Amino acid sequence: MKIVGKSVRKVDGIALATGQPVFTLDAVPPGAAVGKILRSPYAHAEIVRIDTSRAEELPGVLCILHHGNVPRIPYTTAGQGWPEPSPYDSFLFDRKVRFVGDRVAAVAAISEEIADEALRLIEVEYRELPAVLDPAEATAPGAPVIHDEEDARGIHDPEHNVAAAIDIRVGDIVRGFAESDVVVETTCVFPYVQHVPLEPHCVVAYLDEEDRLVIRSATQVPFHVRRIVARALGLPLSRIRVIKPRIGGGFGTKQEIVLEDVAAALALRVRKPVVMKYTRAEEFVAARTRHPMKVRVVLGAKKDGKIHAIEMDVLSNTGAYGTHSLTVLSNVGSKTLPLYNKAPHLWFHGKAVYTNLPVAGAYRGYGATQGYFALEVAVDELAEKLGMDPLELRLKNHIRAGETSPIFEKIGEGRAGKAQVVRSCALEECIREGARRIGWEEKRGKRIREGNWIHGVGMALSMQGSGITDIDMAAATVVMNEDGTFRLLVGATDLGTGSDTILAQIAAEALGVPVEAISVYSSDTDFTPFDTGAYASSTTYVSGGAVLRAAREVRRQILEVAAAILEEPPEELDLEGGHVVSRKSGKRVPLSEVGHRAMYVTDQRHIIATASFVAPESPPPFAAFFAEVAVDTETGVVRGGKFVAAADCGTPINPALAEGQLEGAIVQGIGHTLYEELRFSPRGRVRNPNLFDYRIPTAADVPDVEVVLIPSDEPTGPYGAKSIGEIGINGPAPAIANAIHDAIGVRLYRIPFTPERVLRAIRAKSSA
Amino acid sequence: MSVRRYHYARDVEEALSLLEAYEGRGAILAGGMDLSRGMAPEIEGLIDITTAGLSGISWANGDLRIGATTTLEEVRLSDEVRGYLGGFLAEVMAHVATLPLRCMATLGGAVVSAHPWADVPTALVALGAEARWRTGEKTEKAPIEELYRRPFRAIFRRSVLTEIRLPRWEGAFAFEKVSRNAGDIALINCACGLGLDDTGKIAWARVVVGATPYRAERLAAVEALLAGETPAEGLWEEAARKAEAEARVGDDMRAPAEWRRAVVPVIVRRALERAANAVMGDER
Repeated sequence: MKIVGKSVRKVDGIALATGQPVFTLDAVPPGAAVGKILRSPYAHAEIVRIDTSRAEELPGVLCILHHGNVPRIPYTTAGQGWPEPSPYDSFLFDRKVRFVGDRVAAVAAISEEIADEALRLIEVEYRELPAVLDPAEATAPGAPVIHDEEDARGIHDPEHNVAAAIDIRVGDIVRGFAESDVVVETTCVFPYVQHVPLEPHCVVAYLDEEDRLVIRSATQVPFHVRRIVARALGLPLSRIRVIKPRIGGGFGTKQEIVLEDVAAALALRVRKPVVMKYTRAEEFVAARTRHPMKVRVVLGAKKDGKIHAIEMDVLSNTGAYGTHSLTVLSNVGSKTLPLYNKAPHLWFHGKAVYTNLPVAGAYRGYGATQGYFALEVAVDELAEKLGMDPLELRLKNHIRAGETSPIFEKIGEGRAGKAQVVRSCALEECIREGARRIGWEEKRGKRIREGNWIHGVGMALSMQGSGITDIDMAAATVVMNEDGTFRLLVGATDLGTGSDTILAQIAAEALGVPVEAISVYSSDTDFTPFDTGAYASSTTYVSGGAVLRAAREVRRQILEVAAAILEEPPEELDLEGGHVVSRKSGKRVPLSEVGHRAMYVTDQRHIIATASFVAPESPPPFAAFFAEVAVDTETGVVRGGKFVAAADCGTPINPALAEGQLEGAIVQGIGHTLYEELRFSPRGRVRNPNLFDYRIPTAADVPDVEVVLIPSDEPTGPYGAKSIGEIGINGPAPAIANAIHDAIGVRLYRIPFTPERVLRAIRAKSSA
Repeated sequence: MSVRRYHYARDVEEALSLLEAYEGRGAILAGGMDLSRGMAPEIEGLIDITTAGLSGISWANGDLRIGATTTLEEVRLSDEVRGYLGGFLAEVMAHVATLPLRCMATLGGAVVSAHPWADVPTALVALGAEARWRTGEKTEKAPIEELYRRPFRAIFRRSVLTEIRLPRWEGAFAFEKVSRNAGDIALINCACGLGLDDTGKIAWARVVVGATPYRAERLAAVEALLAGETPAEGLWEEAARKAEAEARVGDDMRAPAEWRRAVVPVIVRRALERAANAVMGDER
């Protein structure tokens, strides 16, 4: 392959590096009004009265929306496929507020200052209701009911605040544990963490000259935005156009409709462009977070280390609304349990419950991250109890190519899944290569001391998926220009991942041209074909599959035209270096001649093709993670020394970008492992909604991160590719937890591993 | 924000007269660090003193003098500061915030803001630094340690801090800090200094802990315990235990009192050991 497998320069790299106006807020129409949201000061309250008269009298205020003057239509803000697996428990504005920061009203004004002043002038009378902040208390008898509205749909058990629940059994778990020689039980706790994209949520909404609503938004899911806004506002889909410019990071939080619905409603009301953007504080409080979880894992194994039974019990906190509640919960098991597919007895069960806290949603890793934290700490404990090297234990149990797991069939996306055989898996090589690079043999169990620091090493495995089987669909259009260059139109959304580049590489490879011959455009619901969007590690596999199909169809059309020129059968022709070349005669014709002839000369046609690809299955990428940490036993400070990740993403289409995805995910994972946690007041207010108090890793905190890609060939993927976007975030928490144990013999089950928690655990152990 | 005017003060006199004219609705701006984090709503005028000739570092009459608007990064890179106490203060600066912020933040700003979690006050209190400021026609001065016992925020609403003076010390200092990650404020910090007499006994000791979460405080009892003793491993441990008993610690969102109580002796011991090693290294 000439283009695939090469680290070509990002197609949007120069524009980004030179500060071209490529982002949503770089193009605000002149005269745009500013939209702002009034937020609830209470965790749970009924809005008794809302008086906007004083605010409306303020010069420059254009309109104020609240529950009293907008249609009441239940919907979900989760940008997912159809049928939507998340409950319809949200309204544009509601009579009730369910967390501190919930929407109460929205203002459009001619300036930000006036909009802010108008928010202050809105008088709201609340009747405060008892709130529930602890997910364990949310389901207790007598707990306040958070979603008591009658028109919500799809909530599992609203009376007990259960948004979603799951119960999956394979074999006989009781027998499984009874037959096990060793049983370990581990419970790990994952707190509230936020994505912290560089660019907060932002949107511009306006009416075009034909009175259609245009929404320019930093979104991962432009087509879902169109569908959901149509539903929320009761508009025909055909009246909405969504444009996705460059995105300054998403990580899942932009798989949510948190501003587009309000901006659209305001723009329709004032008939002027409306611009809205979240502040950093709003991003923390009122965008989305990862689902905080308590995950209990019980492992049963035979003396020889064969894992025989796995129970996984999940309590997920979805916050005030149930977006992604069922699917994130499902993924805790569906993305983890197949890794140890030899166990015949499985029980995966759990609940996602409502609380009066910020709303959890999609976040890179999507439940798998929380699941792997508990599972991989439990596997480490199992190894300890068995007296085995945790690496050997994992090698003995992990899934291989040609194997399957009943979980694939049992758990799908909010419904049953589909049986699937793993066709490509280089996990064993990943484990061995990662171990070699970290120095597993030399360092494990040695507790090397260096001043106040004690070193330890730990490991964890992970798999993820590549798109959602039978749901994720992408289409791509490849258009040939008469000069022999191409346009690639995709609905896929490059959120900084580099997907535009790798999609161009896939097309270029199929068309025998350099990447520079392909102009990529993504995405605009009016002009690019459908794509479910950038989530679930789908773009390389699903959108890439569509691009490959469309490019191959264009290739067929090119060869047909060239065959007429060269007077040879198309089967004898190849595309190479911008030419059509005959394998038989060596005769060649440039693509520019083919394009020109097709467009202007003979048998005229536009060489163009659109193709779709539906994920036929979801081939998992695999990774082995190794952490070396140093612990200061007197202060509890944990310092990352080295982090190695060896990953199998099939064929890396662009190795530098794949490595970048892995490195970025690892650093983000180190963030939640060591520093990040949203803290709440007793009344449910976020106490640290800023980067001064909520710490994320800086460049200076990043340890020596070494990533290595071990290729495999995924037969269902474009040029053998699988995903790489999410998997890296699953490793740091368990690998670092296990490394801390290796260093100081203390197990930690709650992230982040702050000095206070580490020191407390050390002291508890030494006094025990 | 209600700011209407931005003034570049040509000198301290102009800054003072503007401050007076605003009658409480003016604010002095140097690095702008704290103003950018939030400003009192009544502020109408900002008075930029970075143009008032208050930057610079020099030795005079046995003191190291640092102008109030000298940035923390200028302090860190200064040859004079690097030569002062083996570069102790330069090392402290390397712990403060991040490079871009250190290029804006000023030493005077750090003294006036005096955030309890900050590193600069801890170091300056340990060093016995003196602050000089102008109120109207008068130049006033006080040791920073003493200044912090006064209503210093009220003083600096009508005064301009002009200079920090650092005395010469025969001995060595060391700084310790625990924070959540790089560039973060301290969960706790500590600065200790020691000097030896001709017989090798401790002539003087300075022991300061800060971010407890309270502002830097000298632990006089620990200093007294050390004075006159001969440096030895057990002595640092003894001093550390005394510090654990003496230090005032509390809870905040970042860390609980229990953890701070446990870590005070650790960082005091480490700082004393490092200071002692430096002193004895000099002797050798």
